[in-house]
Amino acid sequence: MKLSSRQILFFLAAAAPIGKIVLMPARLARACANDLLFPVLAQLLVQAAIIFCVLLLARREQTLYALIRDAAGGVAAKIAAILFSAFLLFAAFLPVVEQKLLVRSIFYDTIPVYLVFTPFFIFSAYLCARPLCTVGRMWDILTPLAAVALAGIALLSVGSADYGALAPAGAAGWEGFASGTQAACSWFFDAVLLLALIGRFPYTKGLAWKGAVCYLAGGAVLLFLLATFYGVFSEIAVAQTHAFARMSGFFSGMTVLGRIDYLFIFAAAFVMTFYVILPMQAAVGTLSEAFGKSRALPALLSAGINLAMLAAVYLTNFHTSQIIEMLTGTLFWLYPVFAAGVPLLLTLIFGRRTHETVS
Amino acid sequence: MEKQEISGNAARDAAALKALLPAQDILTFSFEDAVKRQYVCIFADALTDKELLAEQALRPLRAYAGDARAKAVREHVLSPEVRTERGLDKLAEEVLAGNPVLVWEGADEGLVVGTKKVNVRAVTEPPTDVAIKGPREGFIEDVKTNTSLVRRRFRTGELMIEMLTVGRRSATSVALCWLEGTCRRDIVEEVRRKLGAIDIDAVPDSSYLTRFLSDRPYSLVKQVGTTEKPDIFCAKLAEGRAGLLVDGSPIALTVPYLLVEDFQSSEDYFVPAYRATFTRLLRLFALLVAIYLPAFYVAAQLFKLQLLPVKLLLTIAGSIRDIPLSPSLEMLLVLLVLEVLNEASIRMPKYVGMALSVVGALVLGETAVSAGFVSTPAIIIVAFSGIGLYAVPNLIEETSVVRLAMLLAAGSVGTYGIVLVSALCLVYLVTTENFGVPLGAPFAPFVRRDLRDTFVKYNLLSLKQRPAALASPNKRRMK
Repeated sequence: MKLSSRQILFFLAAAAPIGKIVLMPARLARACANDLLFPVLAQLLVQAAIIFCVLLLARREQTLYALIRDAAGGVAAKIAAILFSAFLLFAAFLPVVEQKLLVRSIFYDTIPVYLVFTPFFIFSAYLCARPLCTVGRMWDILTPLAAVALAGIALLSVGSADYGALAPAGAAGWEGFASGTQAACSWFFDAVLLLALIGRFPYTKGLAWKGAVCYLAGGAVLLFLLATFYGVFSEIAVAQTHAFARMSGFFSGMTVLGRIDYLFIFAAAFVMTFYVILPMQAAVGTLSEAFGKSRALPALLSAGINLAMLAAVYLTNFHTSQIIEMLTGTLFWLYPVFAAGVPLLLTLIFGRRTHETVS
Repeated sequence: MEKQEISGNAARDAAALKALLPAQDILTFSFEDAVKRQYVCIFADALTDKELLAEQALRPLRAYAGDARAKAVREHVLSPEVRTERGLDKLAEEVLAGNPVLVWEGADEGLVVGTKKVNVRAVTEPPTDVAIKGPREGFIEDVKTNTSLVRRRFRTGELMIEMLTVGRRSATSVALCWLEGTCRRDIVEEVRRKLGAIDIDAVPDSSYLTRFLSDRPYSLVKQVGTTEKPDIFCAKLAEGRAGLLVDGSPIALTVPYLLVEDFQSSEDYFVPAYRATFTRLLRLFALLVAIYLPAFYVAAQLFKLQLLPVKLLLTIAGSIRDIPLSPSLEMLLVLLVLEVLNEASIRMPKYVGMALSVVGALVLGETAVSAGFVSTPAIIIVAFSGIGLYAVPNLIEETSVVRLAMLLAAGSVGTYGIVLVSALCLVYLVTTENFGVPLGAPFAPFVRRDLRDTFVKYNLLSLKQRPAALASPNKRRMK
């Protein structure tokens, strides 16, 4: 089983909006109020450029580990794999916490017991133990599903949105823009996920451009959802965590039909589950490649990583908001370093075609 | 052990064959020809057409006065299906297959006369796959009749039928069918390899073979297509699949299998495309309702009342007010009753069916509700789910298990449990392959061209190419 370039494009189109509509909108509204679209636009453009670079790197048709091993030897490649996986696990923490908060507030009328989120880790352990290439086939189904879910949410919300709330543009000033960009950093690391997949799909002509365009197309959906979100809630947007699950709740037909928006919200949460697990799956895939071909290794790594993540999530349960503040505030710089710096560095080193480096 | 061969002594050869086949229904009959040469006929009593044997072999041989060599004797037997064998074990196998064996004084080989008598039922419409428009023929238990039904539809030398034998003791005949140049060679070879590797006593039904043909034999998900209708079987062969007809089973197997096949029916190809699309979407909807409705009902009651519109919520609240069981237990109980009723109605004699309906509908349904054991919405939901499941009859085994898993997840974790079980099912489905073809195609992997004959059915004139997922060497089926 191998990934195809189409599956990569599908993934990029869906990844742009799907992981960034839970906590990020409210966090951005707090940082830059009605100007929340500009930091996101900036992040999208930067990520699209990095995705372009990573896809250029994919022309070598070698995995990240293989690239480094061939250039710097096995030991260096193993160290790089460990560091890379460590960042992936670090990056996975915020989405997992988001998912936990989403589950506890959206799927239940009353606050459920902590253990209710444990099955997520069981599923995650199963998924992480599967080969990384299975990601492709899953996103073949998840991308259309994400499109339907987000379109449904948007359609039900549009009628309640007053887009005039976004005016005047630039009211938050440069300070608001900088603050928003800093806060958004923690949600924009899609290029790193793509980095974990290179070498597992064939490079087809123009894939780099297509990848960047697909990501930007998904980004346009994200911008529209953010605009609608702010249009619906305006100044109280700062308090609306789990944005996408709240904004469609004012559709007038619901008095007759019930909360039909939940169908779309559950569909989005379904897709999000796979997106949240992907960094852990990528970490297991990278480490498995680096440390041997044993059939049991992915299962062991998967169990270990998920157990550690479960412990981390439950141990920090009473400090969730501080953790989120820390990840989006104090430690924000780690994301651009790995999500932008590392891919760019790798592109500079390995980005040229093989026949060019031989000469 | 040394292989025994024909000795030329009729009495000794007959005794040796009888020693190999000591059962009482294996009979011997002796007669002499015109030159007083002794012949012994060995046959299986119930499997041989004795009249035909007498007409085609015994009567001509009684008048025979020629050479004792098998080649010469053979020419005087009038049956179109005559062959010679030297090994006694092979001859014994033929006797067991219903073909009488002749041995005689001075014979260099035994003679096998193809006068097998097969008691077969008529070719009728299969009860599991009824078509209002379209062919009404169904496969029966006789493999020869079944191959004839296939051959009649393909008057081309490209239709290959290879007879194989599976089962150490049953020696069941299996016809491997494919269209040369349309089905991939590696699929045919893989089927041959998998069948050749089977070491089992007996194969009473084709369903036994499905486990051996599957790459994941312990999987919950089926990986081999099944059909009882020759027209569907032939359509699948024409798409580039290989098929298996098993003696003793009216259910034919086809590989590679795609999950979407079970949402298609033969009738879809005989009605306008928009109608076929509508019924396919209806089947999908019914299946989703069958799987998810009980689970969502339980999850809504236990964890998320907002899922229900207010008026419906008030109605349900009124119905469940005095029910002593928890929603999940109540639903589980009603589902269990449905499964029991279903099982009993299949097994019991037809005459008792009416009584069962009365017991099921009135006693268990009406009385249980009025006694306050179960609520009316639970009965309605289970009934809806039970009916929905039969909209896709070939997936009943799988979907009933998934429905139960959904219900348990909904009862314990709520809606999020449903989301996770669905995710698990998705991962499992998209990673399952058989004969190198993914079960989830053309959705995962996405094959745009093949979408024309999935839940949305295009006009026949648009289906010019065979499914790309099957990678047939001959891609075009219509010009």
